Amino acid sequence: MNVSDVWMIFIGLAFAAYIVLDGYDLGIGVLTLLQRDDRRRREMYELVARAWDGSESWLVLLAVAVWGGLPLAYGLALPSLYIPLTLMLVSLIWRGFSIEIIAQYRAWQRGWGLAFGLGSLVAALAQGAAFGGLVAGVAVRGSSFAGGPFSFLHNGYAVLTGLGAVVLYLFAASAWVYYKSGGELQRWAARRGRVLSLLLAAATVACWALLQPSGTMTLDPGSAARVAVWVPGAVMLAGGLAYAYRSFGRHPDAGPVEGAFAVYAGGLILALGLLYPYVVPPHVTVHAAASPTGSLTFLLVGVGLSMPAILAYNAYAYWAFRGKLSENDEVDGLAPGPAGREVAAG
Amino acid sequence: MNQQTLVELSRWQWAITAGFHIVFPSLTVGTSMFLVVCYAAFMRTGREVYLRLFRLWRRIFAIGFGLGVVSGIVLTFEFGLNWGGFAHDAGPILGVIIGMEVVTAFFLEAGFLGLLIYGDGRISQRVMLFSACMVSLGTLLSVTWILAANSWMQTPAGYSLVNGQFLPRDWVQVILNPSFGWRTIHMLVGVLVSAAWFVTGISAWYLVRSRHLDVARRGLSIGLGAAAVLIPVQMYLGDSIAAGYIIPYQLPKLEALEGDWTSTNTGYNLFLWPDQSAAKNDWVVTIPWLGSAIAKDWSGRTPAPGLLQTPPGLRPMVLPSFYGFRLMMYAAFAMFATAMVGVILRLRGRLHVTRWFHRWLLVLTPAGPLAIIGGWVLAEAGRQPWLVYGRLLTADAVSPLSTWQVLTSLALLILVYAMLLGTYIWYVARVVRQGPEDRPVPEPVRARVAPTPRALRAEKGN
Ligand code: HDD
Ligand code: HEM
Ligand code: HEM
Repeated sequence: MNVSDVWMIFIGLAFAAYIVLDGYDLGIGVLTLLQRDDRRRREMYELVARAWDGSESWLVLLAVAVWGGLPLAYGLALPSLYIPLTLMLVSLIWRGFSIEIIAQYRAWQRGWGLAFGLGSLVAALAQGAAFGGLVAGVAVRGSSFAGGPFSFLHNGYAVLTGLGAVVLYLFAASAWVYYKSGGELQRWAARRGRVLSLLLAAATVACWALLQPSGTMTLDPGSAARVAVWVPGAVMLAGGLAYAYRSFGRHPDAGPVEGAFAVYAGGLILALGLLYPYVVPPHVTVHAAASPTGSLTFLLVGVGLSMPAILAYNAYAYWAFRGKLSENDEVDGLAPGPAGREVAAG
Repeated sequence: MNQQTLVELSRWQWAITAGFHIVFPSLTVGTSMFLVVCYAAFMRTGREVYLRLFRLWRRIFAIGFGLGVVSGIVLTFEFGLNWGGFAHDAGPILGVIIGMEVVTAFFLEAGFLGLLIYGDGRISQRVMLFSACMVSLGTLLSVTWILAANSWMQTPAGYSLVNGQFLPRDWVQVILNPSFGWRTIHMLVGVLVSAAWFVTGISAWYLVRSRHLDVARRGLSIGLGAAAVLIPVQMYLGDSIAAGYIIPYQLPKLEALEGDWTSTNTGYNLFLWPDQSAAKNDWVVTIPWLGSAIAKDWSGRTPAPGLLQTPPGLRPMVLPSFYGFRLMMYAAFAMFATAMVGVILRLRGRLHVTRWFHRWLLVLTPAGPLAIIGGWVLAEAGRQPWLVYGRLLTADAVSPLSTWQVLTSLALLILVYAMLLGTYIWYVARVVRQGPEDRPVPEPVRARVAPTPRALRAEKGN
């Protein structure tokens, strides 16, 4: 265990924070495409509007954690994933802008809402495809990428992981909406959530089973240590899914969210156990890609000093916006007008 | 040939995406401070006009900030996507600096932004003011870190080169590199100038239309006052950059920005059209003597250095360097003259009633961001052909992509950015036209649960 291993764990955590936080808001974006009722859609927009920008900070953190800590990996993997990542960036821009317009200016909800939903869908697909393209293997010569524009597809494996990411985010989004809403919207989320738990189980199995046939990775448990990581990961993932499935539609409302956390944690353990020590499989290991200790230590000190503050004020923001969206409240904005603060306060 | 097209397309993509991004910081950094000022004034005096100013500008600020965030994410990824060689070589230094920016600045901005924009009725006035301060502080930290990174590319220091990779030797030297100080201050003052100018222009619009006069007069006074103080400072700082770092470290940049080939010109070039391959200017408009005077030789005998001194392969392009500089400078002169006229009008007590002046201010609204883009074009194009000055060539740093990949992404980004920019301008115009609400604040309702008792008390307080 040296400083580059610590760094790999930090990257794993940044990755987890990103997919947990942006996962549910991308998922809500896709869910709005399935929701016909204007008013309930509006409630879902509200859930995203005040959180998306904070969530995307974690994406930036993930990117620079890889860049600063593992520059070789950044310079190799990103060009190899040029197409999905460019699509992801463009659609993130698109949906971020749409949601701001929806929140700040209240006309043409339909058009901007559609733009927001589709942007979220493409972003989720592209993220999953990029992930699949990476774990299935990247062709390398020397210190640069040696494949073609489409080699990330791996005979369609990346499409499968793309769909997998959409299902995962939709699942997380139903859990979050279930937790944050009441009434009809909550029942709607529960119905979707149960179907999605099953779909997610199927998608996970498919992605795992097809990884070796489609890519250059070998799923060789190799050592007892590896099995010792895989087994608890798989158990957590399966347990989380089952728990979430059961909890949709019951009390307490936080059940599905707790299940989703277990799913994320289990999935992450599996992924790390699968990849380590490689960061850009099948050739580049975390140790080969790492920056010198001088860089890593400087960054770790910076991260260590700021993380407590970051967590504290993010927790405060979540706390300030705690509680449920409620059906009885005036859902403002459907018609611009003096739907003043008095309504909520009084 | 193919390789060269690839490099050129990648440069265009970077130039366009960075140029788009910088428009938003140039407005949001200063506006966030303006929000702090307005809210603090409201809490101190209890006068409603400050709250209305705050609410109006907060709506304009929110969308600009959102666009700043998404377009910044694109840039971070482009380091790896398009400049993979650079990402590998400079990662141990620049990746780390930008990493520090993320953990110290971006999280601070993002963490408090939600409270600042949607916190009405949920947080107390004190927390609101604190959130505004923290967002503002975040943007300032962000400017500082990103300029440390870019200044290191202009004047690299404190590293050792091992197998083509820049490894940090001394972080203090890396961050406090020779061009960092002046450039950072110049940039900070630049974003304040542009925001002040933006506030001034929009307030002038209300005066032209004779609407919301109280809000407009306050905005005009604060904005124009800040600009009148800051613009002269900024001009002095710009001059110090040229003398303190360009001449000692990057002489070819100076040659290009003055647009001279032979080292004989004692005049000052106002306009020209260069022919880079023939190493001459096709035509040029020059004021005699002035160039020498700027170099502080009043006798008119000191010529400016010319690009022929620099080997052809290492010459920056004259066209972007020269006009980038001229754009910034002409914008600076225009703003300076206008601000001085404003001061005179103010002293004669006619600032709020002189219509033609308000119209002129409205025309000049975008002058700040234009000057900032001009300055960056000069700084970056004048650095060519180097990416890390004197050490890493731009052409050696590009990712091994297909030309069509970059062409497609470039076209897609231009399309999306054009639509966003159009909508953004339309949106700002809408918000301005709607104006600061005269009714007690019809804000988007965020409070879905009963607000905390503390917030309610604060509410009653206003
Ligand atoms: C004024 C100085 C300035 C300059 C030269 C740049 N930026 Fe910037 N950037 C900011 C000032 C800023 C800011 C004021 O901090 C922003 C703008 C609005 C905002 O949301 O934060 C921001 C946002 C922003 C974000 C999103 C932050 C978030 O998640 O909250 C990223 C990832 C970047 N920038 C990255 C870059 C990169 C890679 C740049 C260089 C190539 C760059 N910026 C130039
Ligand atoms: C006559 C007045 C001015 C002079 C002489 C001047 C000079 C300069 C010079 C020489 C540079 C190049 C720095 C480099 O190569 O790195 C520069 C950059 C820049 N200038 Fe100015 N400037 C002036 C006014 C302004 C104004 C009014 C603004 C904005 C409102 C501005 C914004 C910028 C920016 C954003 C940069 C690029 C960032 C940097 O390199 O620091 N400048 N300026
Ligand atoms: C946001 C303000 C900025 C603007 C408007 C800007 C503008 C530009 C322009 C016009 C070019 C193309 C130059 C040419 O090819 O002739 C360029 C290149 C580049 N700049 Fe910037 N720049 C900015 C900030 C930065 C910062 C802060 C960094 C690094 C931390 C940076 C890194 C680069 C890189 C990697 C390239 C591409 C390679 C090259 O063409 O040299 N830029 N920039």
